[in-house]
Amino acid sequence: MRQRAIWSAVLVVGLALAGCGSASDSGKSTSSDGKLVVWDWKSGEPFAKSYLDKAKADFKKKHADVEVEFVAQPFDQYYTLLGAAIQSGKGPDVMLFNGGGQIRDRVDALVPIDDYVAEDRQRLAGWEAFAKDGKTYAAPVTLQGYPIYYNKEIYRKANLDPASPATTWDKFVADCAAIAKAGSKCFALGNKEGVGIQFWLSSLGSTTLTAAEYDAWIAGKRDWNSPNVKRIFQTWKEAGDRKMNSDGANSTAMFNDSFALFQSGKAAHVMGLMSDVGHWQDFNEFLTPEKLGVMKAPVVTAGTTPSLPYDGGIGYAVAKWTKDPKVAADLVRSLSSADALKAFYADAGAIAADTTIDVSQAGPAVATIVGELKSGKPALHVALSSKTLDLMGRLSQQLLSGSITVDEVVKQLAASDQAG
Amino acid sequence: MPMGNTQPSVRPASAGRAGGAAVTPAAHRHGTRPRRTRGGLGAERYAPYILVLPAVLIIVLLRLYPLLLGVNFSFTGDGAQNGTAVGFGNYRELFGDPLFRTALSNVGLLVLLLPVAVAIPGLLATFIYLRVPGHRFYRSVYFFPAVLSPVIVGAIFNLLLAFDGPLNAVLGSFGVGPVDWLGDPDIAMFMVAGVHIWATFGMALVVFLAGFATLDAALLDAARVDGATLRQVVWHVIIPALSRTIQFVFVTTMIGMLTSMFGLLFVMTSGGPEGSTYLPEFYIWKQQGQMNRPALASAASTILFMIMLVVGLLQIKLLERSGKED
Repeated sequence: MRQRAIWSAVLVVGLALAGCGSASDSGKSTSSDGKLVVWDWKSGEPFAKSYLDKAKADFKKKHADVEVEFVAQPFDQYYTLLGAAIQSGKGPDVMLFNGGGQIRDRVDALVPIDDYVAEDRQRLAGWEAFAKDGKTYAAPVTLQGYPIYYNKEIYRKANLDPASPATTWDKFVADCAAIAKAGSKCFALGNKEGVGIQFWLSSLGSTTLTAAEYDAWIAGKRDWNSPNVKRIFQTWKEAGDRKMNSDGANSTAMFNDSFALFQSGKAAHVMGLMSDVGHWQDFNEFLTPEKLGVMKAPVVTAGTTPSLPYDGGIGYAVAKWTKDPKVAADLVRSLSSADALKAFYADAGAIAADTTIDVSQAGPAVATIVGELKSGKPALHVALSSKTLDLMGRLSQQLLSGSITVDEVVKQLAASDQAG
Repeated sequence: MPMGNTQPSVRPASAGRAGGAAVTPAAHRHGTRPRRTRGGLGAERYAPYILVLPAVLIIVLLRLYPLLLGVNFSFTGDGAQNGTAVGFGNYRELFGDPLFRTALSNVGLLVLLLPVAVAIPGLLATFIYLRVPGHRFYRSVYFFPAVLSPVIVGAIFNLLLAFDGPLNAVLGSFGVGPVDWLGDPDIAMFMVAGVHIWATFGMALVVFLAGFATLDAALLDAARVDGATLRQVVWHVIIPALSRTIQFVFVTTMIGMLTSMFGLLFVMTSGGPEGSTYLPEFYIWKQQGQMNRPALASAASTILFMIMLVVGLLQIKLLERSGKED
């Protein structure tokens, strides 16, 4: 009994003492002289080999004495592991990030690299996704965008002209009715993770919001009460109510069940990606290049012009605790060098950040996408915080199941957006 | 004479104890103490502490200390406020977050489902014990899912329960409309819990079978001779005789349900739809890994720890009581 009392006393005192201090410290360097450690989730893949070889060769020319070690982490756990490394102030010198919220949430642990990458500014696209408060934290490797792909074969079956898909929302809804009659669904939608709404928001953003609203949204001045913002969620609900989506969208994983539905010809459209997965190269496995089309977003609000939503997809950043940020930044530059990115485009099937790469061999869909890059704009959902995106995912599921109204959705999103 | 016979069988124990108590001081007086040197006395006195020291150190350094750090960390902020004390701010945020409240109420739901999770292996073990036809076959089949990883189980049921999956196809052939098993917020949590029970009941079944091995067959025979029905046999003979096994299975099943559903959740629903299948573990993982809120995740971990502490203490009480009954 006395033992127990003593132990509880020790526990209480320990808790009290621990409560006084702080558990985290940061700012220590782990890199030994002449070695850079890189964390990513790509370097383990076979398709990344030639990309990495090219990047390493480029880096070797600048710093022959510096060794580079690539550590591939599983993507599922990547940000968890990175979070632990950041918390302890020890970790890789260079690390891969997704553009948008994932890097913006963690800029405290990164070095701004604007001074080092000035020469690459013109050649590469997609910098905004890696910038916060006017400072750039990573150099883009790929571009990630949200084009609407369609299956020309299904268009033919539904007696629609595959060369000229609908340009307005009303016509699009009418086309979908024809497609339904021909026995296919209009959209392959996977919203189990709540990602479907993000693609919807970005794909239809340019034709639903006015240009001024769009720019204000990206700049962080988002008016959630604007009728056009509500309209985005209304079209989402409308597509659900009209049964335009594939069945069971809330239990279908976007990666890769919904893409499989599109690929296998069960649905006519999918809001896909440009890089990594769910894109032209993936689809080409079953949908040959001549069957695969890319369409501009149908105009929802009269007077708007469709533009391709895209951002920097992935990019390498430099950690605050690295010994010599200049050397690490040189490695980042090598990882975005023209030769390396060319290899990445060819082997991984990604739209690389280097817009000078010739893509004419890859089929009409890719040519369309790359042609639209010039007039493209940053994607709307990338500007939102992870917290708001998570909430939007859950609310979008409620919209599909009919347990919430559009007004309530924008109210909750506005509150989350302003808090974050 | 019978009195004389029974008494000795009781007495030696108490007599022994009394004698022991009487002998010890005598031994101290006469021999034991003078034989010990001072150093020997010290070594002997500290030996037990030294022997348990490695275990204690491991527990203190690798368990208690990190635990304290985690609790401490939960009182600090995230992001820009990293490292600064925010008092109970994280806890206030947690209880204001409907998602965390859902996670806690799902824990409550799991506790309510506990009797089902215990009754299923109990009943099946009873049937196997009563040698229904094919009981040998069922014994191994029932255990089979217990060796599968939750990820594999989750993937299998994802296919089975898909909207266009086999289960809905079978229902459709009976004219019952398709159900979105994992996409309907009112159903999904029950499906995940059900799959968890399916995947883990094999272990409990084995424990029940072990319990049956200690059951006195004469009681069953007696009940049969008295003309008891199966229900009466189960209710009046088997359940009372297995009460300790049942309590043990209750405790282990509860621990399993509260601590090892992450893999299944991750694969089957990822917390959805509409956040209806969140559990505290999944919430912690999400906040730490996806939302970059480690301090908030620490606060949620602390609450989960408290819950497990209370549940654990209750269970120890339960097991102690059943031990005394013996």
